[in-house]
Amino acid sequence: MSGAETILLLVRWWLIIGAMISVAFLFIGIDRIDEDARGAYIFRPLLVPAILLIWPLVLWRWYVLEAGREIWSKHYRPPRASHLVAAILMAAGIGTALFLGLSNRQTWPADIAPERLSAPGEANE
Amino acid sequence: MSVKYVPVQWNRNKWIYDAVMLAGVALFLWIFVELAPGLLSHERPINAPIHNGRAFGACAFVMLTVILCIGPLARLDQRFLPLLYNRRHFGVMTVFVAITHASFIIDWYFNFSPTNKYVAVLSANTDFGQALGFPFEIFGVFALIVLMILSATSHDFWMKFLTPPVWKRLHYLIYPAYAAVVAHVALGVLLDAQNVTFLWIVLIGSLAVATLHLLAAFSETRGSDTRAEGTDWVRICDAHDITEGFAKIARLPGGDRVAVFRQDGLLSAISNACAHQNGPLGEGKVIDCLVTCPWHGFQYDVRNGRSPAPFTEKIPTYDIRLHGSSVMVNPVANPPGTPVDPVPVPQEVLA
Repeated sequence: MSGAETILLLVRWWLIIGAMISVAFLFIGIDRIDEDARGAYIFRPLLVPAILLIWPLVLWRWYVLEAGREIWSKHYRPPRASHLVAAILMAAGIGTALFLGLSNRQTWPADIAPERLSAPGEANE
Repeated sequence: MSVKYVPVQWNRNKWIYDAVMLAGVALFLWIFVELAPGLLSHERPINAPIHNGRAFGACAFVMLTVILCIGPLARLDQRFLPLLYNRRHFGVMTVFVAITHASFIIDWYFNFSPTNKYVAVLSANTDFGQALGFPFEIFGVFALIVLMILSATSHDFWMKFLTPPVWKRLHYLIYPAYAAVVAHVALGVLLDAQNVTFLWIVLIGSLAVATLHLLAAFSETRGSDTRAEGTDWVRICDAHDITEGFAKIARLPGGDRVAVFRQDGLLSAISNACAHQNGPLGEGKVIDCLVTCPWHGFQYDVRNGRSPAPFTEKIPTYDIRLHGSSVMVNPVANPPGTPVDPVPVPQEVLA
């Protein structure tokens, strides 16, 4: 199995586990940890894509809320200081990408005749 | 604001916002595909899947660029706040445009072979050691996954469930995602030296995003707020420094920010962080004891930190007192929704 096939297999299993967790969370968990969700059902399918993608985070938050380990004061501490670091790293990334791209621009060799690199496939024989 | 969750909390402003956004997307695609293909280096004979793939890709890039400009613009100039109001719909629409772009590209460039097309995306080019011919698709894959995560977690449920700080940290992924999008474009379509118009769109757009975010981040560190010292009651400012109907924001020793409001000569102190997305409540205006968050319009009574019924959001309050003309705050926050009697300011202090 190639590296690419292994990655796609892992992605498939990630999504399958996420699907199982989404069933448990949306039918059982959500009513236990959020009073605003009780009696509200139409919005729940909208949550499925996120659970498929970030199910480890969902499990962690579900555990924290179920176990009563929530620290309310942390809710009001926005990570603003991180914005400067994020902005500097993003600007550096943008600058690097533009430099590499602009220094390697090419003119398409439209006047060069095509060259066969490999034998034709079975369908063309 | 929450009572019971609904799929989408529509109102007239959101309908208008979305209608303008959809019209903009349609106009962009029409111009790209029909009106000015020559401007974007499409004078050569290319087929419909490539043309459509490029059109949706360019549209997604421009949308993402606009989205990322809105945040810092609103921080730097409050006149841009209305654009921030419904930005999440803008983001969700961008993801659909980006997925359409990916579908056109994968179904054309990576299809028609015995190899699975998704395997082909990851394995067709693995020359990671060179700039020219780098498998730029991988940057697009990363950005698309991030955009899907951010879009999927945009419902208010996720902000409450994950807590605003965790949600915000998760959504910081947009910064590496945007840098990846620029790399995807720069090492992809921009390598075509004949493509001049899109080169300028990418240069101006990406540099605008980088510049605005750096400006907003640096202005935040300078900040207009006061840093309060000490672990006991801390001095925030003089009472007459607080404008009637508005607040003074201070950073407390523990790192939290408090907003001290003055209304009708009475002082109240609440957390500066909105329960929704930690928006800066201290930049809002108080009317009838209710402060409105400038980001998304959530409201709180400054005397008890509670949203007006039937809404259920709560934020911490702080004990407050006057020492001469100095406003003093207990840096230990009260639990969210705790009532605190407002402190009257004598007229001679305000004079």
